[in-house]
Amino acid sequence: MRLPLPRRAVLAAAVIGFAVLPPAGANPYFIYIANLGLVYVLLAIGLNMLIGYAGQLAFANAALFGIGAYATGLLRVDHGLPFFLAFPAGVAVATAIGVVIALPALRLRGLYLALASIAFAQFCLWAFVHWERVTYGAGGVRLPRLSFAPLPVSVEVGIYYLTLGLVVLMSWLAWNMLRSRVGRALVALRESEVAASALAIDLTRYKAYAFGVSAMFAGVAGGLFSALLGIVTPETFDLYQVVSHFAMVVVGGIGSLWGAIIGAALLVGLQEVLRAFRELQEIAFGALILFTVLFMPSGLIAFIKRFASGWDEPLRRTEGDR
Amino acid sequence: MTKLSLQKVSVAFGGLKALEDVTMSVPAGEIRGVIGPNGAGKTTLLNVVTGVNQPDTGDVQLDGASIRGLKTSQIAARGLGRTFQTSKMFKGMTVLENVMTGLHGFLKAEPWTAALNFKRVRDEERDAAAKSRAILDFVGMRQFEDYDASDLSFGQQRVIEIARALIGEPKVLLLDEPAVGLSAVRVDELDRLLRRIRDEKGVTIVMIEHVVQLVMGVCDRITVLNSGRVIAEGGAEDVARHPAVVEAYLGRAIGAAAAAGAGHA
Repeated sequence: MRLPLPRRAVLAAAVIGFAVLPPAGANPYFIYIANLGLVYVLLAIGLNMLIGYAGQLAFANAALFGIGAYATGLLRVDHGLPFFLAFPAGVAVATAIGVVIALPALRLRGLYLALASIAFAQFCLWAFVHWERVTYGAGGVRLPRLSFAPLPVSVEVGIYYLTLGLVVLMSWLAWNMLRSRVGRALVALRESEVAASALAIDLTRYKAYAFGVSAMFAGVAGGLFSALLGIVTPETFDLYQVVSHFAMVVVGGIGSLWGAIIGAALLVGLQEVLRAFRELQEIAFGALILFTVLFMPSGLIAFIKRFASGWDEPLRRTEGDR
Repeated sequence: MTKLSLQKVSVAFGGLKALEDVTMSVPAGEIRGVIGPNGAGKTTLLNVVTGVNQPDTGDVQLDGASIRGLKTSQIAARGLGRTFQTSKMFKGMTVLENVMTGLHGFLKAEPWTAALNFKRVRDEERDAAAKSRAILDFVGMRQFEDYDASDLSFGQQRVIEIARALIGEPKVLLLDEPAVGLSAVRVDELDRLLRRIRDEKGVTIVMIEHVVQLVMGVCDRITVLNSGRVIAEGGAEDVARHPAVVEAYLGRAIGAAAAAGAGHA
């Protein structure tokens, strides 16, 4: 017996729930956490497109997140661009770099791709710290305060609604992409490159798409993150960031759009609960990944699908889902 | 009209000549078998036709145009469908989604048009699903459209893979040992399906095969390879009686067995 909890209703309730937080008088800290959760939803969806759907085990997501944040921030600070120009430009930079790193990645597979992309993440971290002329070094770069004038909202609330709107929009874009030939080509790529190319799927092109799309999501998340924090610092984009994106995807459900959303929301919540104990955060994330891999390899979404009806999605018919 | 032809194709790996001056041409509407003992060059021939290996010399033509130097996906887009020895169903996708993937080259959606849910993307998806259901009907697997690939038996997966290749309206369908691992009943079903594909869809079929029952029964003509060369070509009866085939492919083993049997008797 499955509960009648259709996806549409749950999603609508979630969006409305998020939307009424500010007028309902939620305190600024709570709004900040909700905003952070939404930023991570974008990161998890993007990473899941690359790892879960296209099957490319790459860990460059945190670096691209950083590139989006730095590009948006630096364009504002150094070139005086307003946020609403700097932000799309930052997204474009992250996307372009994502496609460029896809080029060497096209020749790498599995473990080698994982290693190369971790090396790229470490290189970016190094550049954020040491390329002081551009990045302002270890202290980071402080950003001017945003303004949403003439809209009658505070900066915090403005960023919050901008993030919420983009999460809804980009989830919809991802969903549409996945249920077209593009989604099928990505999964075909994951399952068998030789069979995919025998069906006229251009492997190079679709790998580049997968990297580009996931980089675009990371870039959007980065731009929003820079505005949310008002400062961009290098250590934000370290290995812990890499692991937490990965944890969100795995815990939520690898290769599931809704799984990525649930994983991100859950882990940001957990992270905040454990905010006072940074070591415990890392242990908890590690333990959660381990638990999921061992006992729930299809992620939380499989669990939800077992007990609630109406959560079927394209390109995902795993054992745990039924 | 020749659908697939190899002209004086040679491929060498280091000192090993995997194919030497191989010439064959498959006319439209034929079911052609390619047989040969292990190491005869069957896999290399398949790799040359699918663009995995390039011929050192010679040319390969699909439907009258050279496909030499093209990528596998480009050759597929020009009308070469294929199946594999081992199951290459896409797990996670339903049977219907698997078959729809075979239409990739006919669809137009790009990440941006798909993401924005353009009407033409929705329309092509609807048409693709309808077309895929029709082909599932054709192969008699419509009732499994919502199943996951891994829920199906080996033989059923093979049929779905044929449907997935067939929906791309190939000019030539290349089957790599389609009967391997199938029971005799399944081989009979496969035999009938291949004839229907030829007769009703007008698709030319080339199959590389070990299972003698299928090859001898269904193939219009058979090409026999040995040590990278074509040693015989013709109808099943002719090939089976061809002295070079008897010697190279069947002869020694059977001859030896017969001799051993006679010794005991």
